[in-house]
Amino acid sequence: MAVFLTAGIRLPLAALAAILVCYPIFQGDPYTLRVLTISGVYALLAIGYQFVFGFAGALSLAQGCFFGLGAYMTAILSTSFGWSFPATFMLSIAIPGFVALLVALPVLRLETHYFALATLGIGQVVLLGALNWTSLTGGANGIAGVPAIAIAGQEFKRGWPLLLFVWALVAVGGAFGWQIMRGLYGRCFQVMRENGVVALSLGIDIGNLRLVGLLLSALYAGAAGALYAHAVGVVSPEALGFPVMVACLMMVVIGGQARIAGAIVGAVLLTHLPEWFRSLERSYLIAYGAATLVTIIAAPYGIVGAIERVRVLLWPEMRPADPEPVAQRVPARTAPHQIPLLEVEDLTIAFGGVTALEGVQLSIAQGELIGLIGPNGSGKTTLVNLLTGLYRPARGRIRLAGRDIANEAPFRIARLGIARTFQTSNLVDDMTVLDNVAIARATLEGASLAATVATGVTDVRLARARGRAIALLDDLGLREHASRKAGELPQGLRRRAEIARALALEPRLLILDEPAAGLSGAEQTDLARRLAALAGNSLTLLVIEHNMPFLMPLATRVVCLANGRVIAEGAPAAVRNDARVIEVYLGTPAP
Amino acid sequence: MALIQLAIDGLALGAAYALVALGFVLVLNATGAVNFAHGDLVMVGGFIAIALAQVLPLPGIVLLPLVMLAMAALGVVFSWLAYFPLMRRPPAAVYISTIALGIVFQNTANAIFGAAPRAAPALLGDRVFQIGGGVTIGAQSLAIILVAAAAILAQHFLFARTRLGRALRATAEDRDMARAIGIPVTRMIALTFALASALAGAAGLLLAHKYFVEPTRGTDFIMTAYIAVVIGGWGSIEGAVAGALLIAAFQAIVSAYVSYAAATALLYAALLAILFFRPRGLFGERAQRRV
Repeated sequence: MAVFLTAGIRLPLAALAAILVCYPIFQGDPYTLRVLTISGVYALLAIGYQFVFGFAGALSLAQGCFFGLGAYMTAILSTSFGWSFPATFMLSIAIPGFVALLVALPVLRLETHYFALATLGIGQVVLLGALNWTSLTGGANGIAGVPAIAIAGQEFKRGWPLLLFVWALVAVGGAFGWQIMRGLYGRCFQVMRENGVVALSLGIDIGNLRLVGLLLSALYAGAAGALYAHAVGVVSPEALGFPVMVACLMMVVIGGQARIAGAIVGAVLLTHLPEWFRSLERSYLIAYGAATLVTIIAAPYGIVGAIERVRVLLWPEMRPADPEPVAQRVPARTAPHQIPLLEVEDLTIAFGGVTALEGVQLSIAQGELIGLIGPNGSGKTTLVNLLTGLYRPARGRIRLAGRDIANEAPFRIARLGIARTFQTSNLVDDMTVLDNVAIARATLEGASLAATVATGVTDVRLARARGRAIALLDDLGLREHASRKAGELPQGLRRRAEIARALALEPRLLILDEPAAGLSGAEQTDLARRLAALAGNSLTLLVIEHNMPFLMPLATRVVCLANGRVIAEGAPAAVRNDARVIEVYLGTPAP
Repeated sequence: MALIQLAIDGLALGAAYALVALGFVLVLNATGAVNFAHGDLVMVGGFIAIALAQVLPLPGIVLLPLVMLAMAALGVVFSWLAYFPLMRRPPAAVYISTIALGIVFQNTANAIFGAAPRAAPALLGDRVFQIGGGVTIGAQSLAIILVAAAAILAQHFLFARTRLGRALRATAEDRDMARAIGIPVTRMIALTFALASALAGAAGLLLAHKYFVEPTRGTDFIMTAYIAVVIGGWGSIEGAVAGALLIAAFQAIVSAYVSYAAATALLYAALLAILFFRPRGLFGERAQRRV
């Protein structure tokens, strides 16, 4: 019971739901029932919108368009063709889904505003179609006379029957959304939303996640549109108009982004707002806009997010018990130093005419610890971004254990065995340290949409991932911090947590980009000891560092880059005394 | 025969679009933020002109400075409501705040003026010049071209030749560096919003005579500005103007021979095609993505 009260915000939500149930029972006039029915329709639309906007973090402006498509499908099929509800409902869901798949090809690889405006353009095209294809859509007048829902002779008339039908679907839709998002798979969405590049480096196929988000949002919108057509009886171009899209966006922002409950709270609130501000007549939309603006400034995660924060203050979260550590299966060891693990040949890349790397050659044998040095702007991070697939080389080859990876997608390279950390620390602050590490296990544990739908009460994949994560945190001396939010960790511990996360991928090559930056002397010594231990376990490492006292004792070999070229390579002591290396670092020719 | 007429009308439309796109790209460069309410600012400009004309029955050219002044003030308010409180948050927060303010603008206009299309006064009058062969040229189209050209040149002069323009450019280029050398960055950004808003308002006045304005027209304008900027190169001022002219020419020709709906649909299809083949715009972004 105590866990029930202190986990999430279930208690306030249960209270809200109870009020919502009582309200129509005592205020049961037809108008109240109608508004509550429409609330349910919008709740379904907004839950769907959480998938693409809330969970996937992509500002789609096509949700209103999918809603209108569903409404028009239901209106056309049930009036002109006389189809029955089960068939019209299925098609009203399927057609928006189909359109989503169709437009996914051009729009899904777009980012930020490109995605937003491209999806807005799709909506405008469909609206023009509905206005001009008069024979099918009735033009500006739309289609009237959409019948009530009937399944096998059982009719759900407007009023209580339709209200219950709609809210039953909201419950099913909400439960499904929760099922998708509660486990390991759902946490992948969270990482992608925070930082797509980090998600890619953890082997997460963000293109696929965004496709799932867009598709699910379209299916929900289609269902909501169909219910809207039955509830209102008339479908006109208004159903496709931008105001529906804006209302949906505002419901999610005001209710709470990335929260199923937020979608429902926002939908109920915003459909009732016009009733409470009836004196404003049609100008209540001004209040919508103002309320949204205030919410986005003052409460980034909306009403539900604000309740969550208050709840945490009043009843602090109980720390869950640490999971049982799961040891890593021991990989079959190949004899070290025989085959090169990584071979780079003639690697060249230019940005806008400026050559950043020119003809770089590099060979790393299994089990080596290579130090990569060079002055600022010499191309070290560019090289790492090429090795991990974030950039495409203009020329040259990159082979990992004999396989050409120069043109592979970043998430594939991560899965093939190259893990990395970044110069700037980037854990998901709002997630526990344990889960930050566990998400890197998503691919290895086989987290996918299909597997997630079929998950039982406990997500065994998440449990296994956490078990492995706690073992890694233990190895890196972070076990007592496992249940803290990553945002609370000091810099030195964040660095170690990021290394644990990269190790969770079971990489063959681990690339660390300035791991000692910002660490105190004691922390550096500690980190050096841990890296030496990893290298002793036959992990291959490539470490970028400016800090020579830190790097030189560790490295088996050092490579120096300057102006995008390798200028020296060899044993640490030899490179340190190389005349050209001294020259690029000190700016004067060596005496 | 009507080709010259079509060219002049198309050029007039393009000149007004160029003002819209210019304001959009100035804010974009100064803040990195996409202002989704920029189209609604154009609409507001049109309605301010209509409201002013009811009080002062004067030609549009006299009302123009008043409209631009009012819109500049609105632009400053806009920046304090929708941009400054959210400047350190992810970009989507600013998208949403500007969408929200756009909704406020649309519905305020709807509450005051109603949903029906309204016309603003002509710049100089509705005279039509006959030039041989039955071809006619409207005074309004010519006036739009002249006014828009003057505004674009004034903006260019301001940015290229004046101390204030240099400060504005420095702020857009590198905010921290600008602050370090003593430029009042916050004031410069607010001023950029004022400038962009004034240009949008001017475009609203110019467009609202011949093409009318209604509270929901903003979506069309923002799409036009956006497509112009995507065609012209994200962040390029000259490119935005060129893109706007290109779009208007396309719209004028397709509208004349097929229909306005077809022109709009084809334009959006072209946007999708461009984004499909060049996900960062036709000429790429000026700024490199940082990882």
